[in-house]
Amino acid sequence: MSMKKILMVFGILSLMISVIGFSQLANLPRNETLIVDVLSGRVGTPDNFNVWVQTWRNPDRGIQQLMLEPLWMVEYVTGEVINALAAEPPIYNEDFTKMTVKLRKGMYWSDGVEITADDLVYSVNLAKNTPGMGYNAQFSLYVDKVYKTDDYTVIFELKEPNSRFHTNFVDRWGAFRPLPKHIFEKAEDPLTFTFNPPVSSGPYVLKDYDPAGYWTLWELRKDWDRTPTGVLYGNPKPRYVLYYYYGPPEKKVIAQVQHKLDMTDLTPETLRVVLKRNKTSRAYRREYPYVVNVDPCITGITLNTAKFPFNIRDVRWALTLAIDIAEHMAIAFDGMATMGAMHIPPTPVYINWYYKPMEEWLKNFTLDIEVDGKSFKPYDPEAPLRLAEYAKKRGYKVPDDPEKIKEMFGLGWWKYAPDVAAKLLERNGFKKDENGKWLLPDGTPWKIQIITGANPSHPAYRNAMAVAQLWKKFGIDAEHVTSEMEPTLVGHGKFDAGGTWPATEPWGGHPDLLRTFSTWYSKYVEPIGKQTNGHSSRWSDPRMDKIIEEMQKINWDSEQNFEFGMEGLKLAVEEMPSIPTVAYPGIVAWDEYYWTNYPGAENPYCQPYHHWPNFKYMLPFLEPTGRR
Amino acid sequence: MKRYLLPRLVQYILVIFIGVTIVFIIPRLMPVDPVQQMINTITMRGAYMDPEALEQLRESLKEMYGLEGGMFTQYVNLWQRLFRGDFGPSLSQFPTPVIKLIRISLPWTIGLMASTILISWTLGNIFGGLAGFFSYKRWAKVFENLAMVIRPIPYYIFALVILIIFAYLLPLFPLAGGFSVGGKATWSWDFIVDVIKHAFLPALSMIVLGTAGWFQTMRLIVSNLVREDHVVYARAGGLPELKIAFKYVIKNAMLPQITGLALSLGQIFGGALITEIVFSYPGIGGLLYNGIISGDYNLIMGITILSIIAIATGTLLVDLLYPLFDPRVRYR
Repeated sequence: MSMKKILMVFGILSLMISVIGFSQLANLPRNETLIVDVLSGRVGTPDNFNVWVQTWRNPDRGIQQLMLEPLWMVEYVTGEVINALAAEPPIYNEDFTKMTVKLRKGMYWSDGVEITADDLVYSVNLAKNTPGMGYNAQFSLYVDKVYKTDDYTVIFELKEPNSRFHTNFVDRWGAFRPLPKHIFEKAEDPLTFTFNPPVSSGPYVLKDYDPAGYWTLWELRKDWDRTPTGVLYGNPKPRYVLYYYYGPPEKKVIAQVQHKLDMTDLTPETLRVVLKRNKTSRAYRREYPYVVNVDPCITGITLNTAKFPFNIRDVRWALTLAIDIAEHMAIAFDGMATMGAMHIPPTPVYINWYYKPMEEWLKNFTLDIEVDGKSFKPYDPEAPLRLAEYAKKRGYKVPDDPEKIKEMFGLGWWKYAPDVAAKLLERNGFKKDENGKWLLPDGTPWKIQIITGANPSHPAYRNAMAVAQLWKKFGIDAEHVTSEMEPTLVGHGKFDAGGTWPATEPWGGHPDLLRTFSTWYSKYVEPIGKQTNGHSSRWSDPRMDKIIEEMQKINWDSEQNFEFGMEGLKLAVEEMPSIPTVAYPGIVAWDEYYWTNYPGAENPYCQPYHHWPNFKYMLPFLEPTGRR
Repeated sequence: MKRYLLPRLVQYILVIFIGVTIVFIIPRLMPVDPVQQMINTITMRGAYMDPEALEQLRESLKEMYGLEGGMFTQYVNLWQRLFRGDFGPSLSQFPTPVIKLIRISLPWTIGLMASTILISWTLGNIFGGLAGFFSYKRWAKVFENLAMVIRPIPYYIFALVILIIFAYLLPLFPLAGGFSVGGKATWSWDFIVDVIKHAFLPALSMIVLGTAGWFQTMRLIVSNLVREDHVVYARAGGLPELKIAFKYVIKNAMLPQITGLALSLGQIFGGALITEIVFSYPGIGGLLYNGIISGDYNLIMGITILSIIAIATGTLLVDLLYPLFDPRVRYR
């Protein structure tokens, strides 16, 4: 066959295929369908909706966001804990050995069966008695008995006092959510039961899914008003929600430019591309710095305090003072983040609960070292203004009002004071060689490896990359290394410094900080070589132990708990076991071609992510643009 | 016959045995703890686990995963399961059997890679053979230069360019997936066309580069063969050029290409990871990659063992079929 004929056949074939026509959405009305990205990627077992087992079943493909409701939901933008399937907050007895849960009446599974105390009792007992179920460990440890006193009241009798037992049911990500008793009691083996087709307690039901794992399609229930979402917030607007995994960020950009992806996570670089290419795309903030500043997570650098020289407080502070936070944020994020000096994220609610009330303390906090005859105060409330100067030089629009700048970039950070850092090191036996490189007290060159995972768009990677450069500038032989084995290496203490979060994430929607502090409890610290269950810094302090033990004895809503929170934060600042840098800079891109009224910075009615369980509470507020 | 067959059968069994043993040992030498990787997956999005509960969970997962007991016990258990055709449960998708996960992804890989390998092999050998035989013709030189330009292009770049051209600039083909949302997996014309459309770009990217590779190899072999005496004799005998090309030259040049084909087909089980990532196309490459990241020993072993068996079987089949193609072997 001649070449011409071959090319002709190829051309005709292509034309035929394209002319036959395809739509990514066969038989679905695009104007009634919201298409969102799957954060965790391709689903491993697409036909399995049993998220109650001790394994990862991609709950973020709509299962936690649309299908299931928890007892309580944390809302970290407005700073509240929402009563979802529970009608009110948990009720504890005096010594926290008994917890009562009152369920909301009139809530139904999608197959018409009412959600009652039977479901909750059965769910907890099933998890407790079945090794291999998620929460088997927690319920085996803490629950003595669980029973109902009427169809909407459940009593938990605990084996020992536990003032935070209810947090197992508070959905921040991965709470224990009730399962349908009438379905699971018929399953032969709850571990292998695929729960397919699933029934929903949430406002959407499963419509279809890709057996290869790239998409899951959900349809609005006709009786959406018999769910907490419907009762609390009204009618979710999209008739269909499609979770679709397009692949790497560049594919998501193409998809959004083609209006095939309404909500997605991106990297800073791909965000810029999509904003340039698609007039209807927007970020969380419509203008620079674009990022989500409400993510309840602080990022930074974790130091291995079980290893010399990171076990020395002076060294940890020296490493902190060797970082110019403005330069750090410029390198890592092009300034698109909010700086946080403490071990909690500088989100608006935490700024009100902790950062602002503690600002005076921060400004007056001193290190045990003198500069010009005075105790050195390391806090720098002007740091955000220096970052604003950088942003202006880059051509970004930044307000002049310092208050607005601080709202954008944070309240402050630690001073860039390499001279003080040097003094702290020198008094511990460190010295510089003739090339200006730091040597350990034994005379050997000081090398630091900062380990992270291999994903270059992850904040951990970016933090590590930037800090390595800054420590190098300071004279330390610092190197950023990546490994897919990073969780195992860090968990076993086989690292110097890492990009893992410098503190366990707090609740976000509640001021209680026990969740953050408890991983610093000394009983969880293990020697290097053994997996730790506490924080990877392996730091502990008897004073922090005391704070933890006191917090465990009191209600998380109490004023005293607040005070303990502040005390713990002060201790963490003094000891600086890890270096907090910025709040997690979430990057979202929303296409306003088919849908609008997203919860952006100018209209933060709820949390902004489509992969968090709260997503269902956003849907009643979205508005269709009317485009077809 | 026995002298030809027996040593090859023994070699086949030995290759599989040694391969399986190596595959058993290597993942266990990695500094990755599948239990910790699972805990990390569950907790990395912000899910919190009480440290006390975490310790209990760790013990529970170790027991569930069957990671207790020494290496030898686990090795013996592996062979016992293998003879039953059971690779055990996936650790990262516990308790889903590994064979089920492979069954989800493998058909896509086989469909895509088998067809692209066969197509590119056929096209590459025909064009390469003709270009080698008619090397003095202009079209042959054009093809040769084209192959020289295309072949060195890194696959990732080439695939991305094809995606941008045909899924973005000229949006003729889908961006991702194996078939459209709402499509039903049935033997209907609509579904088949939908699958072909979704497979078209990944297949095109592999066929173009694959064809260039086979083209160059075949052209090289043929350009040596055309100087052989039997070819000169055939030409002197006045046989038509095309007949000489196909019957005397290309046919003789096919032997090493058949071996290459068998090995390529055997490598299907390794999947095409970059293809799957660029085109978001389902397949076993991504499954293997996730298995390695999560330290899923059983999944890694399952896929790799299948790959070993496929390649060893391919090699054995080529050895057994060689006498059909090469009369010299038949005679021996």
